[in-house]
Amino acid sequence: MSVPDRSAYAERQAQLLDALLRGDDFPPGFVAARAEAAGSALRRKRGRAVAPAWPALALCLGDTFAARFDAFDRGAGATASGAPLPDGLAFARWLEAAGVALGDDVRVEILLGRAALRRHGVWMRLAFLREPYPRLLVVGRLPFAGQVQRSLRLAER
Amino acid sequence: MALRTYPITTTLGAGAGWRPQIDGALAQVAALCFIEVIAESIGAGALPEGVVAARERGLRVVPHGIGLSLGGAERPQRARLEHLASVAERVGAPLVSEHIAFVRADGREAGHLLPVPRTREALEMLCENVAIAQEALPVPLALEHVAALVQWPSAEMDEATFVRELIERTGALLLLDLSNLYANALNHGYDAREALERFPLERIAYVHVGGGVLRDGVYHDTHSHPVVPGVLHLVEELCAIADPPGVMLERDDDFPPASELIAELEAIATAVHRGGERRVRA
Repeated sequence: MSVPDRSAYAERQAQLLDALLRGDDFPPGFVAARAEAAGSALRRKRGRAVAPAWPALALCLGDTFAARFDAFDRGAGATASGAPLPDGLAFARWLEAAGVALGDDVRVEILLGRAALRRHGVWMRLAFLREPYPRLLVVGRLPFAGQVQRSLRLAER
Repeated sequence: MALRTYPITTTLGAGAGWRPQIDGALAQVAALCFIEVIAESIGAGALPEGVVAARERGLRVVPHGIGLSLGGAERPQRARLEHLASVAERVGAPLVSEHIAFVRADGREAGHLLPVPRTREALEMLCENVAIAQEALPVPLALEHVAALVQWPSAEMDEATFVRELIERTGALLLLDLSNLYANALNHGYDAREALERFPLERIAYVHVGGGVLRDGVYHDTHSHPVVPGVLHLVEELCAIADPPGVMLERDDDFPPASELIAELEAIATAVHRGGERRVRA
């Protein structure tokens, strides 16, 4: 038995993964209909992993979550990490860029997600929120202290 | 080139995949003998309370890895192996299990188990990766074949043959997944019962049984639907020709009420019993 060519194998696996996520351009020899079904199952599974880590986003999208995640993953999947937190963040930003109204709860979730993904250094963001009452939210990440957040109420109800 | 052939000494009995969402339901099942925990869901710190409680009730705990990517082009990562070994030690596991699949390629995570080509070359790399894993693990390793909607072209052997060769060459145990066998047989048009006999049944560590759904003519092994009658039939057929050390239910999503879960566990136990009766009579 000759020594297996790991780098050629790696390339073939990466090609298949890309094709499954994009939903087209399958390497030669694959049965297209089956490969497409496998790709859509893969994207559904990735979406189902993201949803519980992004409850506000999932609630906001409701029944449209699966279809929207599928569309996102087809385009961005090849660069996504497969981990719920960063993939959910990329998904939320993709939705924002597409002009989907996400609401204050999702904005907060995005800020918290961004803070959680910071591993070092100082990072701070400010958001003005209307619901459930007007307030200023500060979310950040500080050395030693880790993730911090403060909410400042702006007006009485 | 069998590195070490582990004897099968552990009788596991009836089991279930432990998930925090069904902890309460599983705690009600007196007949449960073991639980399987996803190794990657266990952190470096304290074990989940439900897992500790299960151990205190005398249940065995089997860590089930999903991230080693043994079928990948890269060799298994040291840190992932150390984590799996540490979980095995912390739960006092009799064995651990992983998949015959790849989950990342070119540094990117698939987030799902993807199949390997059934070729001599892929088998060679799998054997190397499995040997590296076995070297790093404190307990025997069982390998599970996966359900795959997509198949690599130019397969040089069928799945049962591929799995048999892998098990024989590495000395690993077999985690037979009857739902995966059912799904693959249905989706790729072969006879599950005939294929079953050609798996290395004498090397079974335990058996997975999970639910799925037929959607647009394709069977999806979702683990978020009830176990279908065809899979229960395979449980009986298996137990009519072999005596698997353990059989467990896998439910990963859309968790049903405790009563439904318990009914599913009972249906599996009934199928095991029926098959066993046939085996004894034969």
